[in-house]
Amino acid sequence: MDDMPPPVTELLAADLDRGFAELVRTHGGAVYAVLLRLSGGPRDVEDLVQDTFLRAYTALRDYPPERRLALRPRAWLLAIGTNVWRNHVRTLTRRPAAEDGVDVQELPVKDGRPGPERRAEHTWERERLVAALAELPEHHRLPVVLRHIGELSYAEVAELLDAPVGTVKAQVSRGLAALRGKPQLAEGEVIG
Amino acid sequence: MSRLHSGSGGGPEGPDRATRRAVNGEDTAKASAAGITGGAPPGLDALRVAMPADLAIRIMQRAGVADREYDRYATVDGPVTRLFVAYGRGAVTGSAPVEWYAGPDAFEEAHLHRTGRSALPTAKPLPGVVGALRTGRDRTLRYDYGGLPEAQRRVLEAVRAIPRGQLRPVGWLGREAGLPEATAAEVLAAVRASPAPVLIPVHRVGDETGRPVDCGLPPDLVGRLRAHEGVDEDRLTRFSADGTRYLGSDTTRIFCYPTCAHARRITDRHRVPFGSVDAARVAGYRPCRSCRPVVV
Repeated sequence: MDDMPPPVTELLAADLDRGFAELVRTHGGAVYAVLLRLSGGPRDVEDLVQDTFLRAYTALRDYPPERRLALRPRAWLLAIGTNVWRNHVRTLTRRPAAEDGVDVQELPVKDGRPGPERRAEHTWERERLVAALAELPEHHRLPVVLRHIGELSYAEVAELLDAPVGTVKAQVSRGLAALRGKPQLAEGEVIG
Repeated sequence: MSRLHSGSGGGPEGPDRATRRAVNGEDTAKASAAGITGGAPPGLDALRVAMPADLAIRIMQRAGVADREYDRYATVDGPVTRLFVAYGRGAVTGSAPVEWYAGPDAFEEAHLHRTGRSALPTAKPLPGVVGALRTGRDRTLRYDYGGLPEAQRRVLEAVRAIPRGQLRPVGWLGREAGLPEATAAEVLAAVRASPAPVLIPVHRVGDETGRPVDCGLPPDLVGRLRAHEGVDEDRLTRFSADGTRYLGSDTTRIFCYPTCAHARRITDRHRVPFGSVDAARVAGYRPCRSCRPVVV
C-alpha cells in the first residue's frame, strides 16, 4: 500500500492545480457517465461536464486546505453536476422548441446492421437499457443514475437529493424494477 | 514475472490494483463491500463509460490550469508492442508497454506516483513518437527524466546513442556516459531505471558477447525487438562460441563491435576476428570511430 499515490484530497490540499488534475483523472469518468445518462444523449454532455468542473475549480480555489482534505470528491462533484444539469434543463424548458432534457437521438434506430450476432445482441440490450433509463421519470432516474452509474452510497444519494435514505432506496428499487424490461409500469408509478 | 520494471518504481503489481481506489474514501469502500451492483440489472455497469479522449484536457484548459501541472498520454502502436507514452511540455515523461498494466488506470497511477503529476488521456501522441518507434531512431525526441540522478541520465543518453540494429556492452555505456569507474551493476541499474523503456532502446544493451542483459524488459520482448531490428542472433552465437569480441578489416586495419554497420560490411576474405582490444592493438589495428570499442 505504501507505493500508492496519495488520495486526491491530499493532493488537493497540498496543491490546487495538481490536485485538480488528479480530480479530473479519477472522477471525470463518473461525472461524464452520470451527466450522459441524465441528459439522455451526448449532445450537450461535454458542456455540462466542463461547467461542472469549472464550478468545482472555482469553489476549490476559495476552500482552505482542511476543507479540501475533508471532501468526499465524487459525491461533491456529482452534487455540482446534478445542479448544473437541473439548470440546463430549466434553461431548455424556458426556450421555445425545447425538449424535456431527454435526447432521443440515442434510442434504437437501427435496422439490423450486419455484424457478429452476439455483439449486435449486446448493443441492442445496451440501447434498450439506455432507452428505458431515458423514459424513467426524473425522481426515479436521478437516484438510479447516481447510485448505479455514479456509484454513490445510498447515504450520499440521500444527502445530495435532500431526501430520507429510505425514500431513496425505494426510488432506486422502483427505478430498477422498471428498467428490468417493464418500462410501462414506471408510468403508472408516477405518484410522488 | 514478466514485469521487470524495477527501478523506476512504477511497476504495477497484480491486476486491478488501480480500480476503484480512493474513489470516494470510506463510503465507496463500504458501498462496494455491500455489493454495489448486487441489485442492479445487468448492463447498468456497462453505462459507466469513460470520458471521450481529450475531454479531461479541455476541462483543464477551460479551468485555466497551466499545462506544467499535468501530463498527457496516448496509446501508440509500435511495430513490436503497444506503448503508453506520457508527455508534457514537449518532452516524453514516461512510457511503458501497455501489457505491463492491468489497464490505463494502473499506468496513470504509476505515473502519478513516479512524477507527482497526473497523466490525462489524449488521442494525440507527442509529435515524433510514432516516427521514432517506426524508424527505431529517437533522436528527435526530448526526455524529461524527472528526479533521476545526473549519472543515470547520462547512461540513458548513452543508450539512446546505440544505433538501431546494433548492440553495445555495459562497459561501453559506462565509458560513453563519462563514468569509467562505475560498476556494471550501477550502469545496469541506471538502464533499468529508464522511465521510457523500448522508446529508449535498452534492448540494445548486451553483455560482452551481445547476449541480452537484465535491461528491465522481459526477455521475450527483448528478443522480438532485436529481431525486428534485424539483429542476427545466430551470428552472435557463433562469435560468442569462438571467443570473437571484435571484428577487424585487414584492408582498413580498423576493428569494430561485430554489430557495427562497418563491421557488417567486411567481406569474409578480409574479416579478422579478435578476442580482445589488446590482441587487435598488437596486430596493429585501431578502434572504429563510429562504434568506439575503446575511447579514441
